[in-house]
Amino acid sequence: MLHARIDGWATATIAHPSLKGQKIVFCTPVDENGKDAGMPIAAVDPIGAGRHAKVFITTDGSWTQNTVHDETSPIRNQVIGILDES
Amino acid sequence: MKPGRVIGTVTLSQGAPQFRGARWLLVSPMGKDELSGKNAGLSQASTPVVYDKIGAGVGDEILYVEGAEATQPFPEPIPLDAINVAILDHYAYAPPASS
Repeated sequence: MLHARIDGWATATIAHPSLKGQKIVFCTPVDENGKDAGMPIAAVDPIGAGRHAKVFITTDGSWTQNTVHDETSPIRNQVIGILDES
Repeated sequence: MKPGRVIGTVTLSQGAPQFRGARWLLVSPMGKDELSGKNAGLSQASTPVVYDKIGAGVGDEILYVEGAEATQPFPEPIPLDAINVAILDHYAYAPPASS
């Protein structure tokens, strides 16, 4: 599980079939104080998190293979929750 | 998935038989500066070699996956660490001004 902030988005026409129809977002990992903590990563976002929202991301590929209904999917990162502001 | 820019290709004269017909990309990972347009060149991060079967070329921005999931599209076991999963058409990246 990664704590991250939504900082961007991307579109791709040519992609692995399991990415078709998925929203792709760029996220910056953050630490417990909200400071940036690492290189940006891309994730699929089925729940529609907004710009600069704080989110939880799973890096469990087998979970994502379930949710995209494709056991050949190489996708690992998926937004699984939006944090309430604290 | 990690964003990267294709900066070259790799060819093998010998390789594991599972790699027959494979294309390989040399990829410069994109960090905050590269994604937000402050650095159009190479990043400081080390440069992975990425398997490609969707046809990315030098100069393309891609998403690649590292780790065990990279082998997931293959029906047979394959000794692979990184695979290209998307060629980006458009992207935007803008962290909040305070960070």
